[in-house]
Amino acid sequence: MKLTTRQIDQLYLFTRQHYVEYYDLQTELVDHLANAIETEWQQNPKLTFDEVLNKEFNKFGVFGFMDVVESRQAALGKKYNRIVWEHFKDFFGIPKIVLTLAAALLLFIILKASTYQEWTIIGLYLALFGFTIYEMIKSQRQRINKKKLQQKRWLFEDIINQYGAFSGAILLPFNVLLQIYNRIDSYVTNDYFLLAISLVLVLLSVILFIIFKLIPSKTQTYLKQTYPEFKLENL
Amino acid sequence: MSRKYKKMKNSQLYKGSLNTIIMKLLEENGKMYGYEITQKVKAITQGELNITEGALYPALHKLEAEGLLDVEIEKVDNRMRKYYKLTETGQKENVNRLSELEDFIRNMQSLVNPSPKLEF
Repeated sequence: MKLTTRQIDQLYLFTRQHYVEYYDLQTELVDHLANAIETEWQQNPKLTFDEVLNKEFNKFGVFGFMDVVESRQAALGKKYNRIVWEHFKDFFGIPKIVLTLAAALLLFIILKASTYQEWTIIGLYLALFGFTIYEMIKSQRQRINKKKLQQKRWLFEDIINQYGAFSGAILLPFNVLLQIYNRIDSYVTNDYFLLAISLVLVLLSVILFIIFKLIPSKTQTYLKQTYPEFKLENL
Repeated sequence: MSRKYKKMKNSQLYKGSLNTIIMKLLEENGKMYGYEITQKVKAITQGELNITEGALYPALHKLEAEGLLDVEIEKVDNRMRKYYKLTETGQKENVNRLSELEDFIRNMQSLVNPSPKLEF
């Protein structure tokens, strides 16, 4: 006996009730459960839909779908990090490396000439910090709206919009900066230090640009590449 | 009780080979979907080996993220089905892993069942 469309919808609902929020994972699990139920019915035709469903769900173990969701998250998180890394490497290939180094050098010259070096450094860092917070709040709002509209959610899309594991790491240099600030007088007179901080600020800007602008602008491409079903859904 | 024990024993010993089993099956059958893999393993081993759902999908997702597997979607009946198949890298890796597994089996064999020494 084949499952009806209504029963398939019931299975989608079942996965949602068991904390599978993402459509890509729901689809795979629904097909699995449907196959298992159809096979079971061949042997025990008298069992009801719910009975067979519970029997099959129990096979996933005490944590239900959690293992599957977590492993998928980890796998796609790795994929995201790889994409960021690829883009980052791009900035060190010809011709972009010229731009990267020129920006660092320009910043160095400005810092060296400036009378308010420490304030320039802090100011630039705060600008990056502010930009990060602004972008995070913006995408958080969009995500909440999407949830309200009950649109299909794709795990990889959420990872892109939540910036993988980087979101925490972006704010990390703040502590380092405070440390440096306490001893800034002895540092700013050192050319190597100025050069290093110019480079760090430029690299930080590059990473922020990649994860907040570059990759989100290519979301559709990455989703199509990750999910063949994405094309079917969005025809 | 004994059934449960058997399952536990299975998962311990076979865990390390799950990826190899999946890749070998995909090499033989072209493309397969998750449920099909569990059934195939059951059929080949005559019910001795039962790949649990909680282990299969994490393994598939990991192999996919590593670029060893590629996915395809087809509409079957009234639902969508996700098929897995080996990528080119996956095919090469499959050869390596199989020969590694064969070495392992051979070594285990000689450890568990030492053949009598021929020289006296």
